[in-house]
Amino acid sequence: MKKLLALGALLALSSCTASDGDVLYANNDLVLVVGNAARMTCSCIFVMNMSEDYCRAWTKASPDIARFSVDRDAKTVEASSLISWSAKAKFIDDKRGCILQ
Amino acid sequence: MEPRLLARLLAAAALLSAPLALAGPCPSGVAYPGNEGWPSQVEATQTAKAKEIAALEDYAFTRTGKDAERKGIRTDGVVIVKGGTLIYEKYGPGFTASNKHLSWSVAKSFSSALIGTSVQRNALALDDSICTYLTEYSGDVCRIKVRDNLTFATGLAWQEEYEGKQYQVSSVISMLFGVGHADQLKHVLSTKFAHDPGTQWKYSTGDAELLSAVAKRALAKQLPGEEFPFWKVMFDPMGMSVAFEEDVKGTPLGGSMVYATPREFAKFGYLFLHDGCWDGQRLLPEGWVKDSTTPSNVFLTTAPKTEDALSGYMWWLNQPWPQQQKEKPWADVPADAFAALGHWGQRIYVIPSLDLVVVRTGDDRESGKGLDSNTFLKLAMAVAQ
Repeated sequence: MKKLLALGALLALSSCTASDGDVLYANNDLVLVVGNAARMTCSCIFVMNMSEDYCRAWTKASPDIARFSVDRDAKTVEASSLISWSAKAKFIDDKRGCILQ
Repeated sequence: MEPRLLARLLAAAALLSAPLALAGPCPSGVAYPGNEGWPSQVEATQTAKAKEIAALEDYAFTRTGKDAERKGIRTDGVVIVKGGTLIYEKYGPGFTASNKHLSWSVAKSFSSALIGTSVQRNALALDDSICTYLTEYSGDVCRIKVRDNLTFATGLAWQEEYEGKQYQVSSVISMLFGVGHADQLKHVLSTKFAHDPGTQWKYSTGDAELLSAVAKRALAKQLPGEEFPFWKVMFDPMGMSVAFEEDVKGTPLGGSMVYATPREFAKFGYLFLHDGCWDGQRLLPEGWVKDSTTPSNVFLTTAPKTEDALSGYMWWLNQPWPQQQKEKPWADVPADAFAALGHWGQRIYVIPSLDLVVVRTGDDRESGKGLDSNTFLKLAMAVAQ
């Protein structure tokens, strides 16, 4: 229920107009939330070499409605939120770190 | 002209335009860290400077509130290199000397330096249009010169917003995580112009990312087939282990996504401490460090007064700003100090007059309550004296 309320607040926020003539990008907040969670968690785990617990706190964004799963064999992190939003980041190598796919 | 003479002249011209990575005098008598890393006097400093170290750690490493709340100053690592020797290092909870740390906007100074290396190798000229290297682009964006790009003066109407504002307004968040993430170069260059290139300073992660793309293309053109041109021309000669992230198109994320350990970040500061030379090899052109740490004219005349430190080539300078009647931003620090600065308190400080490099990585997320550069540097300088 809390997540549904958060989603409602997000959608309300998304419908606001920008001030001062700013351009509004066509981002859904949930796309940003899962994109952030996937990219930053992947880099936190596979580049910074920190623990999953640490990385969960490190990548926590507001609103905190993303979940992620780590595949250590494939070196990928997939983040999801609610039902239909997801993003995946993959560790490439030590020089290029993670790429948000 | 006789064909053979013409051929000889062309051959001579080709030789003159070849990479000149070894040309130019470098400062003598400088010790550089080798494969084994920085020589260390950390233990000796702990004994000799116990009181000063306690004061530094009390400021930088004391955490407040519950950990999950991420309040106040949250230092993840500090490294001090004095005269080429590691004299102090300490890490915050969970971190060790081997953990790389996110640079955020410290990456911008890396992108700037990679342009310098490209100039040193004759792979690029500052007065070239960016389209000389980004050949798939044409039209208005080709008015942007590399020099405009290097001084945050592309003129693009970039919206540099972070966590505190509606996400849809942020050009940065859209680029890194949203609609622009798959082709970040296109995202930057799709931004409308607010000003003519070269006429208005505006801090922009998009500018820095564009700059790193230009450097990569210029170097790739000179080094065909080289998969990792940044490493070939800069990081490998310095023995620097660094992750420089990219998007799926291979555009380097040179505005924010560089990862290295504090000791490795200190190497980057040390390169700038010694005029762009590394162990006898000139990686940056003579005068590049001076130009990088001289406020650009477009900054001095058009930047908003709210900027804390002056800007050169994407470095931040501890110098007064006469046009705005502002004193140097770090009052107790020598005026020759300069820094690479990043979100959440990432810092590489260089103080040439003290032969000092100070690196600080952190996680300061509470607005207005992060590390204060002047306070921190005063304490770090006391340790280094």
